[in-house]
Amino acid sequence: MQLGIAAFMLRKLLRLALLLIAVAIFSFVLISLSPIDPIDAYVGADMLQISPEQRDIIAQRWGLDQPMMTRFILWLRQLASGNLGTSIIFNQPVSTVIGSRFQTSLQMLAIAWLISGALGLAMGVVAGARAGSWLDRAIRFYAYTLAASPTFWVALLLLLVFSVSLKITPICCATPPGVLTRDVTVWQRLHHLILPAATLSLIGVANIALHTRQKLIEVLNSDYVLFARAQGESLVGIIRHHGLRNIILPALTLQFASLSELFGGSVLAEQVFSYPGLGKATVEAALRSDVPLLVGIVFFSALFVYTGNLIADLTYQIVDPRIRIGKSS
Amino acid sequence: MKSNLKTTSCAAGIVLALSACVSSTPERPSSQNNAAAPQQGGSSEQIVLALSNSEFDDGFDPTLGWGRYGSPLFQSTLLRRNSKLEFENDLATSYIVSDDGKVWTVTIRADAKFSDGIPVTAEDVAFTFNQAGESGGKTDVTVLQEAIATSPTTVELRLKQPQSTFINRLVTLGIVPKHAYSAEYGRNPIGSGPYKLVQWDEGQQLIAEVNPDYYGTVPQIKRLVFLLVEEDAAFAAAKAGQAQVASVPQTLAVQSIDSMKLYDVKSVDNRGIMFPYVPNTGKTTPDGAAIGNDVTADLAIRQAINYGIDRKALVDGILEGYGSPAYGPVTGLPWEQKEADIEDGQIDRAKQILAEGGWGDKNGDGIVEKNGQPAEFTVLYPASDSIRQALALSVAEQIKPIGIRANVEGKSWDEIEPLMHSNVVLFGWGSQDPTEVYNLYHSKSAQGDFNNAGYYADSKIDSVLDLAMGAPNQEEAIAFWKAAQWNGQTGFTTKGDAAWAWLVNLDHTYFVNTCLNIGTPQIEPHGHGWPITANISEWKWTCN
Repeated sequence: MQLGIAAFMLRKLLRLALLLIAVAIFSFVLISLSPIDPIDAYVGADMLQISPEQRDIIAQRWGLDQPMMTRFILWLRQLASGNLGTSIIFNQPVSTVIGSRFQTSLQMLAIAWLISGALGLAMGVVAGARAGSWLDRAIRFYAYTLAASPTFWVALLLLLVFSVSLKITPICCATPPGVLTRDVTVWQRLHHLILPAATLSLIGVANIALHTRQKLIEVLNSDYVLFARAQGESLVGIIRHHGLRNIILPALTLQFASLSELFGGSVLAEQVFSYPGLGKATVEAALRSDVPLLVGIVFFSALFVYTGNLIADLTYQIVDPRIRIGKSS
Repeated sequence: MKSNLKTTSCAAGIVLALSACVSSTPERPSSQNNAAAPQQGGSSEQIVLALSNSEFDDGFDPTLGWGRYGSPLFQSTLLRRNSKLEFENDLATSYIVSDDGKVWTVTIRADAKFSDGIPVTAEDVAFTFNQAGESGGKTDVTVLQEAIATSPTTVELRLKQPQSTFINRLVTLGIVPKHAYSAEYGRNPIGSGPYKLVQWDEGQQLIAEVNPDYYGTVPQIKRLVFLLVEEDAAFAAAKAGQAQVASVPQTLAVQSIDSMKLYDVKSVDNRGIMFPYVPNTGKTTPDGAAIGNDVTADLAIRQAINYGIDRKALVDGILEGYGSPAYGPVTGLPWEQKEADIEDGQIDRAKQILAEGGWGDKNGDGIVEKNGQPAEFTVLYPASDSIRQALALSVAEQIKPIGIRANVEGKSWDEIEPLMHSNVVLFGWGSQDPTEVYNLYHSKSAQGDFNNAGYYADSKIDSVLDLAMGAPNQEEAIAFWKAAQWNGQTGFTTKGDAAWAWLVNLDHTYFVNTCLNIGTPQIEPHGHGWPITANISEWKWTCN
């Protein structure tokens, strides 16, 4: 058993390494081939005041005067020593930028993730248990609509209603303006992340609710449930003793797989709410051709999503004894 | 992803504009505003500015370009520009330029201190200039050979060759402390400016407090909070009473906000159409992009367009009146040649110019032609910019009656770049530094990038521009800058080569709290937002 887990982890780590190498090569090459000239993007409207000589100095500073292969090899060598390089637009080590931005995003992502998971599961169970009822129809209608809505559109609607019209949530940012970090209260922080987190949860529930519903309907139509019913078990009892165990597995898989969607959604939600998290940094890095930062973020997000899936794999064996690792072999 | 984002920001614009419309109906009770914005409202203790900018994503290091325009806040500069753009001493007490224009000797005041208490010396000045030469940022001191402190208060800036525009570096380059400079300086700026950095939440806000050790008049406003938000959010913040200064796009300036006054600040933030100047002979740029356009290479076409356009109509129709006609790239600046202005909107004159140039409509399709070549070209504009789109479309409409067909196409900058040497492009520039004029029109600047994208080349203009650049000081250079525009016989403006058709200068529009006196703003460069801070240390809160 112990050996089984060790082998499992080793295999996973090997795959992770391969994944990261592939991600590194693809993102580096793709971004380097992007038509956006990083020097033009950096200099912006002051372009006509920068002489060709100064452009050369800027190119040297970032190593852009080297051919792509050389840059890639230098970058890989740096990476091997744990250095992700320096962000062009923030003039700061990439790891620092990602660290501080992710910290800001993390609370929002965590809240959105937990809420969408719990709510989605609950909605799915209710809809599945009462399949065909008006409640089921309402939940399905909500889920289909939300699953089809773009994140930024939902974000804008929420902003329009709650910040602009009702004025009960802030218009932007992660903290109130003019307040020193040490004076910002927990409540103020929460107040500022309500809307971005709500946006992501509202959309996140759809997927989980629909899948859970489907799975529960399958379970309820099975022979063993028929048998349980025949023995006089109530619907609540059936769901508790037979349903949940069966639907928790796909729900968990989806929940962890949704990390990637959550991450993608945060890029748009943060843009709308001017929330200075990792998503906003991603946009800036891409639009201004900040190769080191963008590759760093891609790298980080790959790691993030992979870890999510790995955790899902590991939780299976806790939830479902039938797929305990190392047992079968 | 890119297209998504564009949609996002456009949509955001629409929504906030809508909200603006909604809330311009009777004002809500202020208590409701307060619910969302506790302890807001300006005073001499604190004001909040929403200037929609990204000037300092990379920190506050002047050697990397911080402070190129507007106030460097945390540092002070040798010279500064007053509201009439005249140079005044700041940290410097005097400066002399040697006769050959190659040595600038600057004497600095002895009583200035950095915010850590250590005096500012000539050593720091020399260090700053030398560092700026190595940093590789947005400030260009490539002409500097070396800077040497010859006494504690005297510094010699030795140039490789004379450069009249070098004075702009004395105005924009904030002095950094040699003893406290490192790679992290941009995030811990120590300087001798009117304000000190208190906190910078990247991508969110910047908080600055008055520097009690400032050698000049200590600003009246104790604390500045800059919100780093987009234009729409800036407007929303002003509307909600959260910001006392907000930069807003011209389209939102027609709105009114309670207890805020609209400042409509003149700028050289110009828009104009660039003509490829040479015919297309198959030549290409180093990157392989085609050069030249057979239609716009004809002087009659360029002049006719210049005379045919009605610039006043563009200002009123597109900029809601917040702008002014542009006949050259430097409207309102001390080196503007007023005599280059023309009377435009003259359809008949334009037609006459075309006829004299050999263009006529022989096949009766409404488009003139010459030697079988119809007067038709493409005007490119960056698709994300709605003002440029409107300008391009209006110009196309305005020149149709004179028999020229312009096909307007919006593209992204990376699509425009390979096309911009052989197609007409709607550009926008504008700087308080005449270097830009040199790079727009000197034939040597045309290297296949944005500098002189149309490959304009006139040896007479080249030599005048060289004289302007090589003059020992700006006063002498101004005569040459003016002559390059129009000297009675030649020039790059309409009466001469008509290398561009300049259209308008945008006014930069700001909402400012009625209690805040921001003095007389300067004519602003291309950037809309941060330049308003140029005289921020003189701002006064006039209410109690």
